[in-house]
Amino acid sequence: MGKSQVKGTVTSLSSMFPAEEVQKAAKMVEDKLSDKQNEMNQLKEFIANNTSLINLVQKLPDELHHDIMVPFGKAAFFPGRLIHTNEFLVLLGESYYTERTAKQTVEILKRRGKSLESKVNTLKAVMQDLKAEASFFDSTASEAAEGLVEIREYEEDNSTERASQSGSLELETPSVAEADNKMGASEDDEYARIMSRLEELEKEELAAEDNEENLEDEDEDANAVESDGNEDELIKAAEGDGDEDEWTKAAFHRKKDECYSYLDHGQRYSESQSRKQLQQFNGKEPIEEMSNKYKHQDLTNQFASTGLTEEPVTKGEISHGRIIQQDTKSLSPSINASAPFEKKSVQASKSEFDSSKAFTGSIVEHTQNLDKSSVGTNMTSLQSSGSQPSKPVSRFKMQRK
Amino acid sequence: MDSLRQEKIQKFEEFVDRRLKPDLVHAIVERDKIFDQQKIFSDLRKNIENLEKNSVTSLRTLVNLGSEVYMQAEVPDTQRIFVDVGLGFHVEFTWSEALKFISLREEKLERQIEEYTRLIASIKAQIKMVCEGIRELLQIPEEKTVEGRVF
Repeated sequence: MGKSQVKGTVTSLSSMFPAEEVQKAAKMVEDKLSDKQNEMNQLKEFIANNTSLINLVQKLPDELHHDIMVPFGKAAFFPGRLIHTNEFLVLLGESYYTERTAKQTVEILKRRGKSLESKVNTLKAVMQDLKAEASFFDSTASEAAEGLVEIREYEEDNSTERASQSGSLELETPSVAEADNKMGASEDDEYARIMSRLEELEKEELAAEDNEENLEDEDEDANAVESDGNEDELIKAAEGDGDEDEWTKAAFHRKKDECYSYLDHGQRYSESQSRKQLQQFNGKEPIEEMSNKYKHQDLTNQFASTGLTEEPVTKGEISHGRIIQQDTKSLSPSINASAPFEKKSVQASKSEFDSSKAFTGSIVEHTQNLDKSSVGTNMTSLQSSGSQPSKPVSRFKMQRK
Repeated sequence: MDSLRQEKIQKFEEFVDRRLKPDLVHAIVERDKIFDQQKIFSDLRKNIENLEKNSVTSLRTLVNLGSEVYMQAEVPDTQRIFVDVGLGFHVEFTWSEALKFISLREEKLERQIEEYTRLIASIKAQIKMVCEGIRELLQIPEEKTVEGRVF
């Protein structure tokens, strides 16, 4: 497991989002927020005035005349009376006036009130957005101050690339969120985790009758028991590719956590059932049959597993083990042959490896939005590279050459 | 030496920006308010003179009830007028008394405007002085070093 092949960049979050700039942005948003608040207050005042005016207009026609002090300019009054108490001159805007009765005036004022209310509501929505922005900026500032780091890792094997982001701005699994300035520390954690899994897998492997069957069982076990992310991990571990396994495992571990919602429980269940069937056949069928079964199962799991791709088993193998086929078909009626095949560790199928479907591209993995196809192809290459039913590590290594 | 000068220059500039300029703005705002008051009273005076000239006894006006909704109002007797004398008081006047009061008021406002004008002028002078000082400080180093800043 040579780590020298892993390249990576560690970008401090504070360099991407400088602390001062973030604070400036936060202040700007706060200013905008206060502006909107002032506008809101003004609008509320208008609404209050409008309602009081409606009340007044409704009361005035009660009397013929009202004794009032009539203003004369801004600084003088005349004692006088209000006359024609049912006639109101209303300004419609643009120097257009209209004479209206009290009732009609009230209607006009009510319509004005409605438009004011709608304005207030839109302003409230805008303020909400601004508040969200402000909180985002605050959290960014605090995180940048803490020294969170964005870690990008690249693998050079098979010209594959995988970037795992441990950014602070997105939801992260615990493993990723823990990544601080110490990239090595996170690597070690994942490494340890992967090693422990490897040990488990090896134990399971020994318990089975055949090496190959055991491996496939392991894969099956992994698929059935755990999420598909783990399945990927197992397969990768079985392959024995050092760095890639580690990272893929770590990545898929994260993937598993995050893409758990993608899992199709029904498919997984069918997968587990097919696995049980498979175990019954242990020691009886040749590897090709197993691979056939896997192929069918994988088809069902194509959506469940986050990006697993399978190598298509050659049709010649399908002739074997018809019983299995029937079983698998009964279990997984939803097989969609046209869907992208999922690849599992099929040792025998490796010999009939379809180079056209071999993975030659690059793998880009994101913590939240996994590129299923690309990851699946990754799986393909890793799985297809191991061909022999020996120890997982050695088998995979051999195939890579 | 240069750094000291730079510091001084910085201080002067800050002084101008933070103290003098806001003071200037403030003074101008206050003076504008007085201008408005003056206008109000001069309008009132003109109106009263108009009424006197035309011997208007009664008056019909439109009263703003709020939000530009008007209602007709009638003033039966225009002989008495209530004028705002400040501090929330309105004094009942006849026309001639009102005119006298208004002229007195206008004088007072004139004096206030005069004061504010003087204040504004002094602030402006101070700003100019500080700028000149900065210029002096900079011109001397200019001869020795590379030209830094040109006003």
